[in-house]
Amino acid sequence: MFKKYGITFGGLQQKIINLVLVFLLVLTGVFGGMSVFQSNALSDVVGGARVEQERSITQVSEATMHATVEGTMQQSTTMRAKIADDDFLEVVENIKLMRSVAEDLFEKRDIIVPAAFSLPDPADDGKVTAQVLYEQGVDYANSEYLGIASHMNNLMIAMYNNSSNVGSCYIGLADGTHIAVNDMSSDKYDESGRLIPFPVRERPWYKGAVEAGDIYFTGLENDTYTDGICITCSAPVTVDGKLVAVVGIDVTIDNMDEIVKSKDAAGFSCVVSDRGQVIFAPEDNGIFDIKVSAEAEDLTKSDNKDLAELVSRSLSEPTGLSLVTINGRDYYMCGSPMKTVGWSVITVVDKEITEQPTKQMLDEYSRINDEATDKFETGVKRTEKTTLVMILLVMILGSAAALFVANRIVRPIEHMTARLDRIKAAGGEFEMDEIYRTGDEIQVLAESFKTLSDRTRQYITEITEITKEKERIGTELELANKIQADMLPNIFPPFPERPEFDLYATMTPAKEVGGDFYDFFLIDDDHLCMVMADVSGKGVPAALFMMMSKILVNNFANMGISPAKVLEQTNTVICKNNEEEMFVTVWLGIMEISTGKVTAANAGHEYPVIKSADGGFELLKDKHGFVVGGMEGVRYKEYEFTIDHGGALFLYTDGVPEATNSENELFGTDRMLTALNAVKDAEPKELLVNVKQSVDDFVGEAPQFDDLTMLAFVRHR
Amino acid sequence: MLKITKKLEERTLTVEASGRIDTTTAPDFENEIKDSLASVSELILDFSKVEYISSAGLRVLLSAQKIMTKQGSMKLTNVSSEIMEIFEVTGFSDILDIE
Repeated sequence: MFKKYGITFGGLQQKIINLVLVFLLVLTGVFGGMSVFQSNALSDVVGGARVEQERSITQVSEATMHATVEGTMQQSTTMRAKIADDDFLEVVENIKLMRSVAEDLFEKRDIIVPAAFSLPDPADDGKVTAQVLYEQGVDYANSEYLGIASHMNNLMIAMYNNSSNVGSCYIGLADGTHIAVNDMSSDKYDESGRLIPFPVRERPWYKGAVEAGDIYFTGLENDTYTDGICITCSAPVTVDGKLVAVVGIDVTIDNMDEIVKSKDAAGFSCVVSDRGQVIFAPEDNGIFDIKVSAEAEDLTKSDNKDLAELVSRSLSEPTGLSLVTINGRDYYMCGSPMKTVGWSVITVVDKEITEQPTKQMLDEYSRINDEATDKFETGVKRTEKTTLVMILLVMILGSAAALFVANRIVRPIEHMTARLDRIKAAGGEFEMDEIYRTGDEIQVLAESFKTLSDRTRQYITEITEITKEKERIGTELELANKIQADMLPNIFPPFPERPEFDLYATMTPAKEVGGDFYDFFLIDDDHLCMVMADVSGKGVPAALFMMMSKILVNNFANMGISPAKVLEQTNTVICKNNEEEMFVTVWLGIMEISTGKVTAANAGHEYPVIKSADGGFELLKDKHGFVVGGMEGVRYKEYEFTIDHGGALFLYTDGVPEATNSENELFGTDRMLTALNAVKDAEPKELLVNVKQSVDDFVGEAPQFDDLTMLAFVRHR
Repeated sequence: MLKITKKLEERTLTVEASGRIDTTTAPDFENEIKDSLASVSELILDFSKVEYISSAGLRVLLSAQKIMTKQGSMKLTNVSSEIMEIFEVTGFSDILDIE
């Protein structure tokens, strides 16, 4: 943890802020994702609908367009075909009339007077006249046919004048002569004024009619005299199976002009002959060239199968609408036959043009759609921006709020830490400050600290008290120990004025205050009393009991009564008030110093050890009575033994033989005797030192629980 | 150090002590016995596993003996020779019922 800009990094504060930030991020992420998803879904729907609608519009529009175009085209084509056909019908009727008249005339040629005829007169230009023409080398003046045919001049002039469809009427005669009716007399002459020969029987209309044997329409043919091209309707005239003439009319049909001028933005119409050749069509229509029949292509045999099929069909029936592709462009085509001439009218419309309304509609729709989409996208972008700003705002506000909340949580903790540090350093009491009263876990924590602090202070006080008390008791025990030690005679040598004997005693308590005691005192000049005792139990109670016992024994012995009586009297006094049921083992002996005779009594104490003048130390297995204080009315037996000059007496408590080493072995009386006998003639003090040393060596480090009390008496030689 | 097992059959309480009965363990020994003596008419102390008894232990025996004298009887069984020697030295062998 480290602190910077007032924020503890790695601490609770930062963790809380992190938590809030993560939460906010997830929240905004989810919202953002949802809005993006919705926006995308909406875009998809809009886009999908657009495609769908466009397709639908296209389909409906195209279908409608197709139907409209088909109906209109077929209708207008049929109409045109019919109108054109009517005109041709008139021409045909005229030709039939001419043929009929010609036949009639030639059938009666024998009886008919030849009529006058003349060559064209250039002066007649602009005036409708019948002009005789002839093939080169033909003697027209002597022609039999011309005179007969000339009877038709008036008829042909009438026809020319009465019909707008007739550009020129004529009759080609089998002898190479020809009568033409028109208003262009000067055209028949060349620049030098000579009449241009007219190859009658070479003309396509002549040959075609002869070949067909019936009414014949030429294709587009070059005009003999002008640069122009024209169509001719012709028919052979036969009399008695012999061809005499061919009548012909140059067709100048106004309706054909209409066809020729029909080209506009939407398309055009054209006329196709029974040979599949385009006869009439607007110039520069971009599809069909108009050529003379010799050069023109037969469209029914076109490589373009669709076109060939349409053209073929159009010659016999209304085709309906067909889609034909020419030079990579699609065209709607529709044909209708002209019954009279066996031709057909075909109307061609650029498909693209028919699609234009659909296109316009689609463009309009697209424009509206685009506008809507633009608006929608702008809206989405604005929403995105707003959302972004909102997210940023939420983040900033969220962080600020988290910081605020985190501070509220962390500040009491920091305050608490500082307070605890102060307490740790200086000691003192943890106080419930206002800042901890948050009503949450922090307050609980603070209250726990408060309780802990109070308890700790209380414990410290108590421990101080206890320690004081313990020290006091320790001091008192030490004092008691000293008093107890002072109770025992401890000035050695005790009887420096008595050289005939020496005596030494020690008490090493296991605890501070023990229950063992020894005593020796002179009852009179010749009687030395020696006491070795062991109070049951340890500690202060044992010490008190021991003091009482020592005083009682001392008092009773000083009264001069026998050892057994001393113990009995002591027992009686102790048993009177012994609620604690304590007892004491006592060995008591009174020695007559002059003789060395000892009278002794044993109340449950260890065997005494004696040494004769020349012998070693050995146990004296004396008679035992019961312990003092154990039972009322106990009787003790006395016994006697003598310590020679040079002899010795050794008294001890059970602390010596029952000293225990670490292997739980007892020191035992055997080791004790060995220790005594090591230097058996030693002075009392040395004897005790030897035994103590031996015991210490034996027990080693093992702790000792019993007092170690010994007394040695030596009677000097 | 000292393990004490007690078994109460009707009014006979058998206590088996195992280990050393010294200054440290004697208070436990005393409490164990005295807590169970109510309405006991015969107390049997099995000493077969007692290794050592100090004067503090002897005091417990004396105390128990005094109670049992009033409400019945007390006896020690299976006392080893080492323990017997202590009883003899202290004169307890005279007042205790030892089998």
